[in-house]
Amino acid sequence: MTDSSLPASRIARAEAAASRRTTWGAWGLVAVLAALLIVPLAIDDAFVTHVFVTICLFAGLSTAWNIVGGYAGQLSLGHSIFYGIGGYVGVILMSHGISPWVGMFAGAAVAAVVAVVISWPCFRLHGPFFALATIAFLEVFRVLALHFRDLTGGATGLMIPLKIGWEWMVFREKWPALLIAFGMLLVCLAVAWAIRSRRLGFYLVATRERESAAKAAGVRTVRVRLMAVAASAALTAMLGTFHAMYLTFIEPAAMFSLQNSIQIAMFALIGGIGTVFGPLLGAVLLVPISELARGALGAQAIGLHGFVYGAVLMGVVLFMPNGIMGVLDRLLHPERAVKPGETEAVAARPAAATRPPIGDEVMRVEGLQKHFGGLHVTNDVGFTLREGEILGVIGPNGAGKTTVFNMISGFLKPDGGRVLLRGPDGGWQEPSSPADFASLGLGRTFQIVQPFAAMTVEENIMVGAFWRHGEVKAAREAAREVAHAMGLAPYLHSEARGLTIGGLKRLEVARVMAMQPKILLLDEVMAGINQTDVRRAIDLMKSIRDTGVSIVAIEHVMQAVMSLSDRVIVINSGRIIAQGPPQEVVRDPQVIEAYLGKEFSHAQA
Amino acid sequence: MQTFFQIVLNGLMLGGIFAIISVGLTLIFGIVKVVNFAHGEFLMVGMYATWLLTTKMGLHPYVTVAGVVPLLFLLGVLTQRFLIQPLMAARDDHVQIFATVGLSTALMNLALMVFGADIANTPAHGLRAPIEAGPVRMLTGQLWILVAAVALVIGLRAFLARTNTGRAIRAVAQNRAAAKLMGINVDAIYMLTFGIGAACVGLGSALIAPLYPTSPTIGTYFVLTAFVVVVLGGLGSITGAFAGAMVIGLLDALSGFYIGSDVREAVVFGVFLLILILRPSGLFGTRAVLAHVS
Repeated sequence: MTDSSLPASRIARAEAAASRRTTWGAWGLVAVLAALLIVPLAIDDAFVTHVFVTICLFAGLSTAWNIVGGYAGQLSLGHSIFYGIGGYVGVILMSHGISPWVGMFAGAAVAAVVAVVISWPCFRLHGPFFALATIAFLEVFRVLALHFRDLTGGATGLMIPLKIGWEWMVFREKWPALLIAFGMLLVCLAVAWAIRSRRLGFYLVATRERESAAKAAGVRTVRVRLMAVAASAALTAMLGTFHAMYLTFIEPAAMFSLQNSIQIAMFALIGGIGTVFGPLLGAVLLVPISELARGALGAQAIGLHGFVYGAVLMGVVLFMPNGIMGVLDRLLHPERAVKPGETEAVAARPAAATRPPIGDEVMRVEGLQKHFGGLHVTNDVGFTLREGEILGVIGPNGAGKTTVFNMISGFLKPDGGRVLLRGPDGGWQEPSSPADFASLGLGRTFQIVQPFAAMTVEENIMVGAFWRHGEVKAAREAAREVAHAMGLAPYLHSEARGLTIGGLKRLEVARVMAMQPKILLLDEVMAGINQTDVRRAIDLMKSIRDTGVSIVAIEHVMQAVMSLSDRVIVINSGRIIAQGPPQEVVRDPQVIEAYLGKEFSHAQA
Repeated sequence: MQTFFQIVLNGLMLGGIFAIISVGLTLIFGIVKVVNFAHGEFLMVGMYATWLLTTKMGLHPYVTVAGVVPLLFLLGVLTQRFLIQPLMAARDDHVQIFATVGLSTALMNLALMVFGADIANTPAHGLRAPIEAGPVRMLTGQLWILVAAVALVIGLRAFLARTNTGRAIRAVAQNRAAAKLMGINVDAIYMLTFGIGAACVGLGSALIAPLYPTSPTIGTYFVLTAFVVVVLGGLGSITGAFAGAMVIGLLDALSGFYIGSDVREAVVFGVFLLILILRPSGLFGTRAVLAHVS
């Protein structure tokens, strides 16, 4: 082990520096927000106020969009649907004598329901297909708004009734609208910040980065994304209601506009997609261009602001894909990059003098079957696992080991057979989804490491820790403890994508250990790491086992298999060909044949 | 009955237009694996070029093909080289989507600045003259578009199947790294493919311009349907795109007449959403096994 005091003090210093910069960031934010309110009030000019109302509106829309498009990574180009719903619900209710302050919430509720209904089937689409589906939905809504004239007024649009005053959200002067727009922007920012800094935000980003790893950490990926979509749609609809009152007139082409949807997403991307305050920055910088082009240059400059938007968007994508916030972040947080040559050893606790006895069965696997097309990849695989036992799974490449793993962690549905886990009440349960497996205390790693690349090492481990700890603070502490135990402490604030393969393998184990599982499935965690690390990993696994955790490990490193496993099962061509204590299994002629071929086993005999 | 035949014929003619626009889109998607959101603006650029060549130089619209197709080829090559290629390694989907969305927005508004919002009519040179075929009729220009679309599909398929360049293109689509190891210049193949895809829509724009008025937003009008066609036909499948175009053309014409012209778009996009959600590999494609867990 290296001296741990040195990295600890360095981390403390880095954290102090980071918090100083965060303070600067906070002051910058306050300054921007204050300017949004004070500048127009001080200038007191109708056009200037109008520009600032529009900035607040688009900043709010973009911030709301970012909850889905940024945190959840679902690129919606149909967010105008919710804006339009908010506008129409607000105006229609107002014409029935209901205040837009109430209509706003009605619109938000309708939009949230619509969002959940249309997003749920679309979540299996990724990248451009999700974007296309949202565009299609937007077109459908626009056409329907044109068609149902009785309700929406069709192409002629709807004029709001002439009622003025705070209760109708309609004013002769511009400044009350500015106050409302500003207040709504603050609400959007607060909601976005609250989501991002809590467990939901971690889960959303984790799901965006690696859906399967998030599932393995017990995240119900569909549910968290639906929550994000509902929140985003509700905020968007509320802004839509406000804007309808501000415009006093709505029509389908303007309310359900693709151009508007693209602009909303564009501001977020330019400011910094997935960051809390990026969309605000994007809107603050870009909205004035369009409003000035429209207001000052008028008809001469038709198309100018759109051209600038498009050009800026291409430039940002090419040269600063993380947006303005990405550039600021690089300036403010240089310590995010991993510095080479700093490694800390795995700090395995010394193995307990006496190992606790192997307990009762905790997992039963019965007669698993799986076909991939004509290929019979798993054929009648069954075994049991006892408390505190280490079960080694070996077999040649392509034998079907990982397929078995995927079935006993809920990632693949078996064609036949079942997997039973001991529940907290002692009875047997048959879980089906990865999250069900996780809730019964099963954690897994992936053979091909699946880090949440854009998150720091600490945040990666926290995603696992959230399974036990709902609060960010508790999860962070648990994550740090695990990181220390796994020798990842020096990298806590580095982005996971910068780690070496050995580091990533340890991160994989750390994330699952933070879930404090009762059953641990390890898929080749020792492949590709050096001898010293293998020895440390063996000690670590022993110490994990001694706390009563049962382990199933797929492993090719025979040194580890032999010294760790209480039992070994050998899989070849999808079926179990041998099982028993490791020393016996490796002498089994069938096993030797499977690994080395018939000729070798004949030669040995 | 005569009305029905007329509507079916209208649908097939509309299908021809969708086909000639969609073929390039599906080619780019299938090979370069990029959804080109600026494809509609490529069409718009081609239509303005046709309009300029016909009105300023007095050329027949079909003669402008000689200029418009190379122009669009160049536009495609430049887009790939300077916008898509630097982003090929990007891990996030949103980067490539926004790149072409940005190009689309920029081109559309550039046209607005240069040509204004008014529509530009390309001289028809008799291409709007109806042809009577028994009880039904169609426009001369529409028939030529359908013929051209069929020829384009056959030609592209032959090119991809028979020539060495075509084989190299398919190899790159199958496995980029392996193709590179076989000595194929992958970047050049991508530029060529993007160029060909844009050239296809260039051909389409010269044929469509005499029939439809050109405006900065004409691209959006057509491209959304082209996306529907491409997904319906199975992404990357050229014959699939042709078949999908015919299906959507018929659907558009029939629903427009029997349900109502104001909801036909809702029908088309509704079908699109069903396909996307229920059969993402398209009507004619085989469902790929998506093994997302290693």
